[in-house]
Amino acid sequence: MGKFLAEQGVGRPAEATEPTPEEVSQLMDGELEAERVEHACRGLREASSMQTWVCYHVIGDTLRGCGGLSPGFAERFSARFGAEPTLLAPPRRQTAPAAAALALAASVAAVCVVGWVAFTTMSVPPAAVATAREATAVRAADARRPVVNEYVLAHQDYSPTTPIQGVRPALRVVAADGQDASR
Amino acid sequence: MLLARAGARAARHRRLHFASCVAAAATFFVARAALGQEASEWLQHAAQAARSLTYTGTLVYQHGGRVETSRVLHLADATGEHEKLINLEGPPREVVRNNEQIRCYYPDAKVIRVESRNSRNAFPSLLPQQQETLVQYYVFRRAESARIAGLETDAYVFEPKDGLRYGHKLWADSATGLLIKAQLLNERGVPVEQFAFTDIQIGAKIEREMVRPTFAPPPPDWQMRQAVPGDVAPQDTGWQVKDLPPGFTKLVEGYRTLRGKPAPVAHLVFSDGLVAISVFVEPTPEVPQQIGLSQEGGVNVYSRQLKDHLVTVLGETPSATVRQIAYSVAHR
Repeated sequence: MGKFLAEQGVGRPAEATEPTPEEVSQLMDGELEAERVEHACRGLREASSMQTWVCYHVIGDTLRGCGGLSPGFAERFSARFGAEPTLLAPPRRQTAPAAAALALAASVAAVCVVGWVAFTTMSVPPAAVATAREATAVRAADARRPVVNEYVLAHQDYSPTTPIQGVRPALRVVAADGQDASR
Repeated sequence: MLLARAGARAARHRRLHFASCVAAAATFFVARAALGQEASEWLQHAAQAARSLTYTGTLVYQHGGRVETSRVLHLADATGEHEKLINLEGPPREVVRNNEQIRCYYPDAKVIRVESRNSRNAFPSLLPQQQETLVQYYVFRRAESARIAGLETDAYVFEPKDGLRYGHKLWADSATGLLIKAQLLNERGVPVEQFAFTDIQIGAKIEREMVRPTFAPPPPDWQMRQAVPGDVAPQDTGWQVKDLPPGFTKLVEGYRTLRGKPAPVAHLVFSDGLVAISVFVEPTPEVPQQIGLSQEGGVNVYSRQLKDHLVTVLGETPSATVRQIAYSVAHR
């Protein structure tokens, strides 16, 4: 099913233009207007847009502290995925209610479509991914928490509920500081 | 004749109808004003209790799946308020407050951060206009009574009337009014943040010694990070929020100095009487900042690039609210 949809993409309309980096970012954050989403998804079939998409995800993952995948993962996954026998329907289970099985099938299908499109069109050099990841990790560690904390501290001065909370709101900052205090 | 009488009757009815409408509206506004006053008085009572009682207890802070336990000591005496908070898990942290001055100690990093709180805001005495705004956008009501940390408490709820605000559920000690537990609730009624005492002694004997910092005076190799006097110098910054959520009014506007920022940062504060939202605008910093949404406990933070400026909006509101504001910041 995934392959079928991916192949359909070859015959896309000629007027499809690529989404701007801002649109890719908005799409990731769920902020893109509904009517632009389909267009942006179609545009992601362009290699450069997919590169932006991948790059932003690497940045996001690194900021959130999630470990990345090893270089060449996509190629290896694609090869193995292609070698797998095509599963036309999930195995029928007597106990599962029909609705749940359908929902499961739908979500599996959705993952396949997204996964397949992403993996087949992605041709980002591993080195670029590694560089983006490294740079982002440094920036995240350097900049993020302490700066946000300064804002939160300045803000709490004015929060009307601070007086009934006593010193408790300071916990937000102290808790967030964690290991970053030394920076 | 018949027609004239019918006309007069109709006019009388119209007058009566008009009068009853006026009366209904008046009752509505009086009732709302009374409700607003009730909510405001309850907040003032809780603030008064927080300021004037001496107590010690164990405080549990929960946010985003994390739980942190601290010991809190609060002494109110002739010289004012003295408070000490020590976390009981992870790397040791200590927060000591003497009236408006707050010091955070990080022994592992050998760092002390000194902050000054704004004394102006030490009491939420809302103006009648603000009281009315409060009940216009929240339903204030008494909820259940519950036993928490061995005390009888009464819960009060500020339930938002729109999706732009969080709900607030506050449990106060029935005897003294001291806040024992507080929750911020999202639109599905799920807590996004919670502070709660698991045990507390109100009126406990606390010596001045017990609320002094453990590390006073700090060892010489400790780094002291003094905050620049944090008050906003009120002035027109030229920045404005075009699409402000209803009920929010501007409390203050001006420039302030923030640690780690080379230039003063424009700071605008808006409030609906219960929570505040801060808008910071600064020239794009040299060190790239995270853009988009992040969270610090119940505080949502949204940053975006606006031409050559960085806009950061934060507050104890749903993420949609800070985002809406971030996207409507503009220069006049």
